[in-house]
Amino acid sequence: MSKETVISVRGLTMGFGELVIMEALDFDIRRGEIFVILGGSGCGKSTLLKHLVGLYKPMAGKITIAGMPLEPDNEDSFKQILARIGVMYQGGALFSSMTLGENVALPITEYSKLKGPAVEELVSLKLRQVGLEGFEHHLPEELSGGMKKRAAIARALALNPEILFLDEPSAGLDPISSAELDALILRLNRTLGTTFVVVTHELSSIFTIAKRVIMLDKESKSIIADGDPHELKNASKHPFVHQFFNRQPEMEK
Amino acid sequence: MSESTSMTTTPSISMQLTPGQLCLTLRGVLDLRTTPDVLDQLAQVQKPLPKLIRADLSEVTRMDDCGALVILQLRRMAEKHDCELELTQIPGHVRDLLAFLRVDDPPRSAGIKRARPNIMTRFGVKTIQVWDQAVSHVSFVGEVTVTLLTLLRHPGRLRLGDTILYMQRVGVDALPIVGLISFLLGLIMAFMSAVQLQQFGANIYVASLVALAMVRELGPIMTAILVAGRSGSAFAAEIGTMKVSEEVDALVTMGFRPAMFLVAPKIIASVLVVPLLAMYSNLFAIAGGLLIGVTTLDLTVNAYMAQTMSTLTIFDINWGLFKSAIFAVLIATVGCFKGYQVRGGAASVGQATTSAVVTGIFLVILVDSILAVILRYWRP
Repeated sequence: MSKETVISVRGLTMGFGELVIMEALDFDIRRGEIFVILGGSGCGKSTLLKHLVGLYKPMAGKITIAGMPLEPDNEDSFKQILARIGVMYQGGALFSSMTLGENVALPITEYSKLKGPAVEELVSLKLRQVGLEGFEHHLPEELSGGMKKRAAIARALALNPEILFLDEPSAGLDPISSAELDALILRLNRTLGTTFVVVTHELSSIFTIAKRVIMLDKESKSIIADGDPHELKNASKHPFVHQFFNRQPEMEK
Repeated sequence: MSESTSMTTTPSISMQLTPGQLCLTLRGVLDLRTTPDVLDQLAQVQKPLPKLIRADLSEVTRMDDCGALVILQLRRMAEKHDCELELTQIPGHVRDLLAFLRVDDPPRSAGIKRARPNIMTRFGVKTIQVWDQAVSHVSFVGEVTVTLLTLLRHPGRLRLGDTILYMQRVGVDALPIVGLISFLLGLIMAFMSAVQLQQFGANIYVASLVALAMVRELGPIMTAILVAGRSGSAFAAEIGTMKVSEEVDALVTMGFRPAMFLVAPKIIASVLVVPLLAMYSNLFAIAGGLLIGVTTLDLTVNAYMAQTMSTLTIFDINWGLFKSAIFAVLIATVGCFKGYQVRGGAASVGQATTSAVVTGIFLVILVDSILAVILRYWRP
């Protein structure tokens, strides 16, 4: 697997108004990596993800995706970047006025030359991958939370993007679906070389899929750990990292 | 990068027709970019097909689920024309993919669109919907009535902070637009009627016309329409969105009655401020009429105001206020009710908002007509 950098973040400071959430973040994500962003609740993981896909503007610093600087204002380069990424949002963000099939078919009909029955067939294959085959004509409101989540992944997968951003993909899924999802991520990563950037809390999932994790810390507003989760679990000296991987509560001092 | 561009220039499929068999060679990358062309070429293969289709996959370097469509298409062709399909030299990664996608079990898509039921079914569904809606409407009105009666006995249960907030949103925030529109309305009315009345030298009656028309009818109606557009829609959107995000459910399980928590403050705030808005509207319309009267009809301010005062009776003003209060109840109730009806997501909130405004205005006009008839036959 090549070690080419697909996403590079330099000196990223993010926040809203006066409030600074993270300061001067530096990290690289390499092609074919499954990269997991960790951290306690409210430390800005999802915010970081939204910066990486260009929804939020950084207060300072630079993000480069696939060699192109991420500039949401520059329509041409932003479009090229968007064509290479897929995003799954925390709540699913399925369009409620469309059926599941139409949700998945939307990017396919819009951005590929496939027509009619081929689109429907591909949509079925996508839904089959996330275990939702046969639900094509259901509306999102008729699905359970976990099913919405999987449908959202199917939609993010629609164009087989080079980089997939997943915001808490396994939260709210039962252990079996969650394990199936991990298997799906690993398979896509192996066969298509898709790079994954995942925000998650699920320890089992982290240990199964993550090749590399970074951990954000609210107090110091910086990255406190970077590396293989198995190594970090045993070797990290940082108390928060140790607590996190070993599921220990915050002790009274 | 250079690799993938060169791949797109070489054809991904080549075909050779020999007697008795069709030989296909697939090569390179089969993904979303290359597959559509391959599918097109397959669709153009001359019929009838020979007895055997042999596809060589050895040169496929990369295939994703979109590429698997090619295999599915070949299967379908073979089945349709009753010939045999032989996939040869399948590379390991392709075999993996096909196994994962369970290509042997072709996707049985029922279509991504929802099938439209036949006319009888739709008629039935619609009938049941209308009935359900009527039932829920009645029970909603009942619930609101009970809530308001409870409030009569225990006024302390009203959420005062919310009520004041809605009084501000419905009333104070609407002042500029109500003022402007009423002023222009008075101005136009005076202007248009002046043309006619001037022919009889009855200039002074412009004042009567503007005052009576506004105070009795147009003031309350214009205000009601503006409030329906500004606030009825806002109520529906707010409650609808709360419904979608399960906030209404949260209220119920926390032991609050949504009707008390959400609906009562809105209705009470509207009833309190809409009549005031109507008065304010009357004032500005009369000011508009006055401007025309003084500038183009040679009336003095005193004469215009004296005529206005002598035309209006206290009953007219009370009647206008009473109607405004009724309209306020209608608009706020309909707005909240439509919000409650939201099921699903964003589109449903939009529908509820539209429906709140349309139904609100319709009810206002309907009730206004009924009141006009009542007044005609039963005037104290």
